[in-house]
This record gives sequence, C-alpha cells and structure tokens, in this order.
Amino acid sequence: MSISVLDALQPAKKPALIVLVLVFGLFVGAWVHGKYFSDRSPIQPIDFSHRIHVTDNEIPCQHCHIYAERTPVAGVPSVSKCMGCHNSVPSVRESPEILKLATYWENREPIPWIKVYDLPDYVHFTHKRHIKAGLACQECHGPVETMDRITRVATMKMPWCVDCHTEREVEHGRDCWTCHK
Amino acid sequence: MSKISRRDLLQYIGAGGIGVAGGVLYGEGVQRKVELLIPQVIPPEDYSPGVATWYNTVCNQCSAGCGISVRIREGKAKKIEGNPVHPVSRGRLCARGQAGLNVLYNPDRIRTPLQRADRGSENTAEISWDDALTTIGSRIGRLKIEGNAGRIRLLTGRTRGHLDELFAQFMNLLGSEHYQQYDFTYPSALAAANKTSFGTDVLPYYDIENADFLLSFGADYLGTWLSPVHYSRAYGNLRQGRQGQRGKTVQVEPRMSLSGAAADEWIAARPGTEGLLALGIAHVLVSSGSYTGNDRDEWSSALQAYSPSMVSAETEVSEDTIVRIAEEFGASTASLAIAGGATAAGTNAVASIVAVNALNHLAGNLGKPGGVILNSAQTFPAAAGSSPAGLQGALDLVAAMQAGDVEVLLVHDTNPVFSLPDNVGFRQAMENVPLIIALSSFHDETTVMADFILPTNTYLESWGDDVPDPGVGFPVTSLSQPVVAPLYDTLPVGDIILSLARQIGGELPIHMPWASMEEFIKDRWREEFDERMSEGQDQNFEAFWQAVLEAGVWGQPGAAAGGQPESSSSPTIAAIADPVSKFAGDETDYPFVLHPYLTATFLDGRGANLPWLQELPDPMTSVVYGSWAELNPVTADELGIEEGDVLEIESPAGSIRVPAFIFPAIRPGVVAVPIGQGHTSYGRYASDRGVNPIHIVATLMDKQSGDLAWAATRVKITNTGERLRIVKTDGVTRTLGRQILGPGNDHG
Repeated sequence: MSISVLDALQPAKKPALIVLVLVFGLFVGAWVHGKYFSDRSPIQPIDFSHRIHVTDNEIPCQHCHIYAERTPVAGVPSVSKCMGCHNSVPSVRESPEILKLATYWENREPIPWIKVYDLPDYVHFTHKRHIKAGLACQECHGPVETMDRITRVATMKMPWCVDCHTEREVEHGRDCWTCHK
Repeated sequence: MSKISRRDLLQYIGAGGIGVAGGVLYGEGVQRKVELLIPQVIPPEDYSPGVATWYNTVCNQCSAGCGISVRIREGKAKKIEGNPVHPVSRGRLCARGQAGLNVLYNPDRIRTPLQRADRGSENTAEISWDDALTTIGSRIGRLKIEGNAGRIRLLTGRTRGHLDELFAQFMNLLGSEHYQQYDFTYPSALAAANKTSFGTDVLPYYDIENADFLLSFGADYLGTWLSPVHYSRAYGNLRQGRQGQRGKTVQVEPRMSLSGAAADEWIAARPGTEGLLALGIAHVLVSSGSYTGNDRDEWSSALQAYSPSMVSAETEVSEDTIVRIAEEFGASTASLAIAGGATAAGTNAVASIVAVNALNHLAGNLGKPGGVILNSAQTFPAAAGSSPAGLQGALDLVAAMQAGDVEVLLVHDTNPVFSLPDNVGFRQAMENVPLIIALSSFHDETTVMADFILPTNTYLESWGDDVPDPGVGFPVTSLSQPVVAPLYDTLPVGDIILSLARQIGGELPIHMPWASMEEFIKDRWREEFDERMSEGQDQNFEAFWQAVLEAGVWGQPGAAAGGQPESSSSPTIAAIADPVSKFAGDETDYPFVLHPYLTATFLDGRGANLPWLQELPDPMTSVVYGSWAELNPVTADELGIEEGDVLEIESPAGSIRVPAFIFPAIRPGVVAVPIGQGHTSYGRYASDRGVNPIHIVATLMDKQSGDLAWAATRVKITNTGERLRIVKTDGVTRTLGRQILGPGNDHG
C-alpha cells in the first residue's frame, strides 16, 4: 500500500484546474486586447495611409508636420493643408476616404484624430530639440513610411528615454530637470 | 485519464471565458484614456501649437483701466498678467484682474439670446438673434416714429471710451436724452469736490509714488480706491524705492483696511468727522505759519473755529496727535492728502473732501511731484465723457419708472437692484416698465427682471478703447482687442447697438454706418490720427494702429498734463461749512454706526460669481466665503457677543442676519460688514452666500454731489442666539504665551 499525496489532493484537483484555466484565459484576453483592441494602433476617423503619402508620393515628414522643427509639438496638418493638395489630385477625389475629408472641410470641422503617441503632462518633451540634434523621425516613431495605419513602436516610458540619452551621451540628458520642469 | 464530464467541461469553458473577458477588461483598464489630436481647420498665421502668444488688452474688472497681457495657447486664454508697458498697471495685476479667466470660462455665462415670459423667474426660452433684434428694434422704432423716444432709457455701468460715445450717439439719434450710468464704486463726491477745489471734475493724478508723507482719509488705495494696482506699486516706491528715505503713511478710518494695516499710524476718528479732522489740521498749518500764501488771512478767519481743542472734542482724536500730524504734514517736502471710503460717503462727503483738498493747497502739494497733478480732460482720442450720476440719478430713474414715463429700459453692465439700498425700490419700479432689455454676459438680480436678455461678449472677446480715469498725469489711451474668439453665440455690446440701429432704420444707420464695433473704433482712431498726429510724422495710420494694438496702449509721457491746479480759497471756504456727517437713525434707538466696506475681491458685488475670488480669504480677517460683522472686542464684551453668534443688524431701512467676528482693528461702536455677498440670482458660485449690507443702508445722500451716503446709517444689534461657524484660515488671534510681542508685552 503506497501513500500518495495525489490522493489527498484529489478533491482540490478540479478547483485548481478551473483556476488554471481562468488564469490562462486572463493571459489570452490581455493578449487579444493588446493585439486587436489596444491604443497602439487605433482606428482613425479617416483611413489615412502614411505609406501612400511618404513612400509612394515621396512627401517629406515636415511638409505636413510643419511645427516639429520649431515648437514642442510636431502638429497634425490643418484640414486646409490636406485640402490644399487634394484639390489638385483628381484621381482619388471620389474615393470614400477622400470624400470623408471633403465633408470635414465643407463643414469646417476639424478631423478628430486619435493620439497614438502621448506623454503625461509632467514630461516636457520637445520635438524641436530632437530634430535639431539630427534625429530622424523614424528613431522614435518607427518605419512610418511603411505603415498604412500608424502603430506605436516604442513604450514612451522613462527608461526608454533615458536609455537613448545615455547611449548618445546627451549633455544633461539624465538630469531630472531636463524633462521634469 | 478520466473522462471529463459534460458538467465539468462547461465549468472549464465558463472559467476560460471569464478569464478571457477579464483579460480584455484588464487591458482596457490599464490603457490610457483616448486623447484626440484636433487640428485647426484653417490655422491663423501666427499660430504655433505649444507656443504661447501674449496679446495686450484692457482689464474690465473695475474702473481703473489697467492694461493686461493675456497668454494664449492654441486659441485659448490661459493666464492674465499686467501689461508691462501700460502706465496704469506697469506689469502688475490684482486678484480681480487675474480672475478675468473666470469671467471668460464661467459656466453660468449666458450663451444665447433669451426671452422671459415671467419676470423674476429663472425660466427663459432661447430665441434667435434675428427674432430678438427684430422684435426689440420694431418696438423702439415705433416709439421713435410716434415721437415718444423720450420714453426709452439706457442705463449702463461705468462706460468710457468709444463705447460711451456709441451709447450717447445711439440715444441722441433716437431722440432720447436718457442715457445714464450707475456704478456704486464711482467717486461722484470726489469729482464734485475737485470741481470745487480745482475747477475741474476730471480726477487728478495722486502721485503717491513720489510722496514722502501720505495722509489718507478713508481711501483704501491698496485695495479698492480708484486705481489700486497703480497705487500699490506707488506705495512700494514710497516705502522702499528711494535710497535712505522711507515715506510715512497715516490712515484715518473707523475700520482698519489693508491700507490702514500698512500705515505707520491708524487713526479711528469718530465716524462722520473725518472732514473736521482735516480742518483741524488745516487750522494748525495756517496758525503755525507753515502756510504763507497771499490769502492767509482769509484762511485764518475761515479756520478760526476749528481749533485743535474743539476738533479733538468732536473727533475724539487727541490734540497732540492733530498738532503733530499737522506739523509733519507741513514740514514734509512732498506731502499728500487723499480722501475716499467712508470719508467720501457721508452726507457731508463733498465738504469733507474739499477740506482734505485744502490740506494739499495749504501744504503746497498742487501740481508738483509727490502731490496732486491734474489730468487733461481731453486725451487722444476724444470720447463722450459721460460719468455715473450717483444716487440722485438712480432716484430720478426710479421716479420716472414709477410715474410710467419709461416704456423701454435697456440695461448694460450694471446691477442697480443689488447695489442700491432696498428703500430706493428699483426692482419694484421696474415692474412698471413694459419692456426691459438686458445686455449682459451673466444673469443677476437686475437681468432677472428683463424680458429679453441679449448675451454680450466678455471683455476678453471684445474690441474697445479706454481713457483711464484717473489718468497718470499725461495723456494715455488704451486699446482693447479680442484675445480669443467668442466662446458662445454672443455679440459685443457695441455690435448689438449697431444692429439695433440698422433694425430701427431711419437716419440711424446713415449716421451709424459701421458694421461692427471694431470698424467704428478704427474709423474714429483714423479720424483723430489724420486730424492731430499725422503732421510732421512719417508714420501712416495702419502702422500706427498696428503699433498701438501690439502695445495695447498709446501715451505721451512728459506731454503737458492738465496744467497747474487753481485752488482759490473762496469756493473752498464756502464748501467746508458743513464738516460733520448726519446719520439716519437716532443714537438712542440705533447705537451703532454701520460701516459697509468694499472688498478687494468682490468690489460692489460684481466679483462674487468668480470662484477664484470666492475662495480668496479676506486680507484683514482671513475669513473666506459668506459675510460677517466685525465688532471691537470692547463692544462685543459689553453685549456678550462671541465670534460666530448670529446677529440681527437692524437699520431704519431694514435688517440683515450675519455672524459676528471679533476684530480689534475697528473703533468701538462701529459695526463693519463687507459688501459683495448676498446675491440671489448671480450664478452658482455667488448663491446662498452671506448678506448684502447695501440693502439696509438708508437713502441719505451728499447734498452737493447727489452721491449715496453709504456710511451714514445707524443700526442696532440683537444677538439671535443662533450660532454659525465662521470659515477662516487664521488660527487663534492670541499669542498663547509665545511672547511674540516681546517680553512683558503678552496679551495671553
């Protein structure tokens, strides 16, 4: 007659399995959410493609994001800027996404884009300095020119910032006051 | 391996499902809130996101006319500061000015034109601008055609610059002479007294900055008097701006104000006798030989009666003090005497102020640095120059309304129902007016009686110009511009008047052809520029206009001011004959003197709907929210009153219930209640807070100026036995053995 703890655990086996399944389910749910429902790549009000604009039509980033070089924020192009070009691009004038743009313009309404890259208010990040330092947009924003829908590629958390500042030996790059005023 | 039963399988699937759902919910929970990235539809040229632009304009929170700079980011106003190049504010700003953002973003702002079926009720219906202007325009137009334009009245608050001219022109073209202003804070008595003393009612520049002995009769120049931001800066210079020379200040008032607390000496003369005290000092100046003018004999005989012993007995200020102050005042190279507050609010207000002006004459303070410097009446550009008419003007209007002589009443930027005594009966008289139209950004006690409410832009959304009053000794004109686009479906008040003119038709649109206030002001400035300034200058008007718009102000420092003040002795001597104020209520029935006072936060109550000002503790008592009645500890002891006891304060005109606050810096026998609270329909932040002491003020007035004598009411006090805890930021006022006042000088 052998003594096994398994027998003693027998009554606990089923609840343990249920908990296991539940925990596994949690991981699956979180993964599914991250993959398909997260804010890393939100569905935008207009299905705008950076690939078409940057790769196919060779428009430089700062042609539209005009404030990046001189202000803290890069800025999304104004609706008038979009229409400025699209008025003279008859080939896509009737495509459904461009019709959406035209509707915003006719109603004089801004397009409510969803923010993909966002920093908390206590971080004083400025685009201007990073552009002046010679960084390419892609260093932080990833291969935007290949993306149809923008996907966030970096965590945008402090360790990520500090790693880069350390690696590049940025002057005062690790001082608290550089980013937290 | 045992087979899994159907029951178990379902349980596993259920657990898995709950797990997945939980995981998704977890992911959703830790995800940041969705933030939008809203582009401009058409960006303005000078716009950069994240970069602030400062626009200069004019503050409208009181009548001082400070220049302000407003910080704008992404088209939103974020912060207001003083305009550094404006000679009134010189880069500084008071709490009321800072709270201008609360005016702009106030949730109680009126957002569309409203019509009210039932006067006094809060229920209103939205109507369109077209409907409102058509209805009102046709009513006014019909009166004009019938020749009854005199039955149309326009009542506004203190209005200057070209808005004043627009109002005056509109009413003139209609054929009505009844455009008038009412502002509780306007110093009518000071203007009238200066007319007597100096021959002009344009308020002079009191050069506190360069004075070395400042004698203030009731004027709280650091808190509420005329131009507090300017004078606060000037006070700093008086004290510390000059190497090795510290100016001295003396304050005469029954209840210590902020200026009293900052003074070297605080003198609580018997209320109503401040003018007499000034005459006592004048007596010493003349009799001691300090004054050496040609008319010395006239002064000497006129002041004969006001010997220090007689004045001392009446004012309860010691003879020594009177003589000492007179000697210091006469000996100072730059002494200055000013009058305001309760001194300028008795039945003898003009007489008292003339007596104070006489001190400046006798000590030789007129027309020199550190003294009284006249402002020129006319500065660029010229405007109508109306001024508020005090209590007399309000009484005339009430009488006309009661007699049924008013068919249409237009009200703008003034709240007479709140800031007049109840006995005047303004609200009741309004019932007799068939059509009342309020042009206002907020609901208040007066607009609640209006049939139509036309919502106006706030001053941060409007064009305008202003000649500060009092000025700064040289010609100055400020220009206001909208610093943000209008938040709601509102219009600038000038544009409403111009639209009404177009609706009414006839010769009005011919003489008032401007499409907007902006066009009107620019047009007028261009005319003035062509007439006066273009000669010998290379500048063209557009460049000039842009420069003024950027600076927010135009001025000519060093240019001739209003000339040398003429102070002839005979009108002054005639005016000082009646130096003691009379009081409503006799002393046996009403043993205490009521001292309502303007606060640096609410002024006459207009600031009470701004939350930042509501949460600002009073600088003297540290009390925040609500009203209180200040009593001297001696008076309180006699009556057995403690802090928080709810008192019934009854005057011959009415009563209020307010908790007591024991305050050592008030004369025994005086009860002081701050003005500003006690609103009934002024939005969420002002409601259910405190009481309005103006309502129980008797309707006495100064005979010579017609100004309300709001410091001339006697009251009696009853302890109701109820208690109300006073909210204050102070702890205890006692030293609790810490010997803060030095050894042997501890009041426990």
